[in-house]
Amino acid sequence: MTPPAAGEAGFDRSDLGRSGLAAIAGLLVAWEGLGWLDISMFVPPVSEIAVVWWRLLGNGTLWNAGASSLVSLAKGFLPAAALGVLVGLAMGRFAAVRHLLDVWVNVLMSAPLSALVPVLIALFGVRDTVVAATVFLFSFFVIVVNTETGVRGTDRSLVEMARSFGTGETALFVRVYLPAALPAVMLGLRMGAVQAVKGLVVGEMLISLVGLGERLIYYGNTFLLKELYAVIFSVLLTALVFSQIVQAAERALIRWK
Amino acid sequence: MILGLRAASFAAFLLLWEWAARVPVSFNFPTPWATFTALINLIGSGAILGATLTSLQSLLLGFGSAVIIGVPLGLVMGVVRPIGRVGRVYLDLLIALPTAALIPLVILSFGINIISSAVIVFAFGAPFVTMNAYGGVRDVRPRLLEMARSFDVSWRQLFVHVVLPGAMPMVLAGIRYGLSRAFVGLIVAELLLSPFGLGRLIMMSRSMFEHDHMFAIVVWTLLLASAALAAVARLEVRLLRWRA
Amino acid sequence: MAGVMTPGEPVSIVVDGVSKAFGPVQALVDIHFTVRAGEFLSLIGPSGCGKTTLLKIIAGLVPADAGRVMVGDRNVAGPGRECSVVFQDFALLPWATVQKNVEFGLLPRGVPATERADLARRFIGKVGLGGFEQAYPAQLSGGMQQRVGLARALAVSPQVLLMDEPFASIDEQTRRLFQDDLLSLWSEERKTVVLVTHSMEEAIYLSDRVVVLSPRPGRMHRIIDIPLPRPREVSDVRATAQFAQLVDGLWQTLKVLQ
Repeated sequence: MTPPAAGEAGFDRSDLGRSGLAAIAGLLVAWEGLGWLDISMFVPPVSEIAVVWWRLLGNGTLWNAGASSLVSLAKGFLPAAALGVLVGLAMGRFAAVRHLLDVWVNVLMSAPLSALVPVLIALFGVRDTVVAATVFLFSFFVIVVNTETGVRGTDRSLVEMARSFGTGETALFVRVYLPAALPAVMLGLRMGAVQAVKGLVVGEMLISLVGLGERLIYYGNTFLLKELYAVIFSVLLTALVFSQIVQAAERALIRWK
Repeated sequence: MILGLRAASFAAFLLLWEWAARVPVSFNFPTPWATFTALINLIGSGAILGATLTSLQSLLLGFGSAVIIGVPLGLVMGVVRPIGRVGRVYLDLLIALPTAALIPLVILSFGINIISSAVIVFAFGAPFVTMNAYGGVRDVRPRLLEMARSFDVSWRQLFVHVVLPGAMPMVLAGIRYGLSRAFVGLIVAELLLSPFGLGRLIMMSRSMFEHDHMFAIVVWTLLLASAALAAVARLEVRLLRWRA
Repeated sequence: MAGVMTPGEPVSIVVDGVSKAFGPVQALVDIHFTVRAGEFLSLIGPSGCGKTTLLKIIAGLVPADAGRVMVGDRNVAGPGRECSVVFQDFALLPWATVQKNVEFGLLPRGVPATERADLARRFIGKVGLGGFEQAYPAQLSGGMQQRVGLARALAVSPQVLLMDEPFASIDEQTRRLFQDDLLSLWSEERKTVVLVTHSMEEAIYLSDRVVVLSPRPGRMHRIIDIPLPRPREVSDVRATAQFAQLVDGLWQTLKVLQ
């Protein structure tokens, strides 16, 4: 399996260095400048966007939308993580399971899952459950594939060594396969988190009922540019925050082990 | 044996589907057979082929630009360190941001036309293509660079004969992954934009309660995307024949 | 200078007061020796003695902090056309065929394509890989890959051959055959050779002289003469008492430094 594309595993606080902060600062300054020059109505100054963002935060719009989004994220990502790791472990350990499921997993991992959203709507109706389902779909397959790769990548010589000491199958799995697969599982969860947020936005936009995605559609339809930018920024914030939460959970899990 | 398991898996899927339609899980659920016949109808009437062509136009325009701009940009980022350091921050942000959030902005800016969907496809695919080209350059084995230096090759020769071929695996992987993202963007754009392509067909069928048609188009879209990605994967294997 | 490659006369190498540090770590201190033109010299010493660093300084890949290196009349300030390097991990371009790999060194010298191809084929034959021109490195064993590396280094007709533990990644049987082939190629077209090695037997079997470096930091410890008669690849030099004595002598020297 090819290594993940660079950057897929989400934004890490450590990625930001001096040149990073300078790059972002430069972008904001240039944006502000372009905004003042009134190049286009589609490029308002950053400062005005910030003011609107603050207003939306104050009047609860962003909190409500954000809360709804986070709930859908949790409802979709947590089952995807739990189930995804289980299926991935099974596929990695047992060749039969792998051959049974691998076609589906590989096809669906790279397929445009957004095409399935209308199907989900047909299944559940136009409800927020569809959003959680979209989040689930977007993150599930990435987690499965990474977990499976992690288990299959376990060093053969380690397994042979453990077997030579008479380790039983269950203990073998818990003491050798699982720890060896842990880094890959963690990577899969991080990548899954990134995909989850993408699924969240796609789902919310297509359902257009609740959450930040709905706000995006609404402000787009009503031509409220600054509000739109403010929500885009909030979406980015949500993505970064969720990424950090997952990474923190990872670290806690590792320490607990 | 493996074939048997895979066939069994597919059969199980069809049975599950049939069961879901009969229960019925929801009043809108067509059976596999209904979906299949609907697909035949759509192909026959030319509706699906027309929509596919329109969608592919956006894809070609948007993803083609992503490759033509993204690969050289990524290579430059990898070779010229300062540009790389700054550029990767922007790329990291673009990749962290759920690109779908930009769709309303694009539609507002460019209108409801093929330019919008091409721009959206570009936005979905370009960051990964660029990032991977950048990573590919950084990935070239330092030993090979040292070897080339020991023979006193010129910068141009170093780039053409060592850096470029060395970065190829990651560049191609980036194109393959970028294409899968581009498809996602295409579908979301068309589902939202509606006047175009396969997305429009899906939404139309839904609004007319022709769920067997809708399912058929969804299946077709997934198959189309899988075929395109498989083709790129084959190309990748052929170009990288030298790998063990 | 473009055109036909004429094998030049081998040149001498003068290492004069060379020192090198990597940050706080002193790798080499005050290294002095001369390699005579056409001589085969080995560098040996325990880990941390800086022998690879020294070789890279001679090759012009790493700058010295103090002192200088003269290759012929050139003061080394970067890689030079008269030197060729053979690497421990072969450093072959994995995406290029054997033919293309061997041609690689000829690219910067402006040699026209047909001539490049002919030269490459000639040297591929000389190292015993005739017939493998279109193979890729991944299809070759370690020993075969290193032969490609050697062919590439020889194809540019260098006056100096620098080898960084070239046989370390190769099994012993293949290594012995390879060493003999190296010696016969070397006697055909005399070059100045500096070889870095871990193996005492190898150093003594191949060289005219052996330079022993002491570790941390790398310093000159001894220079040992190897008066074994040449050609060595046709007689059974390893079985002689003189060989055994030389190996033991070298071991006694190295033992102290471990």
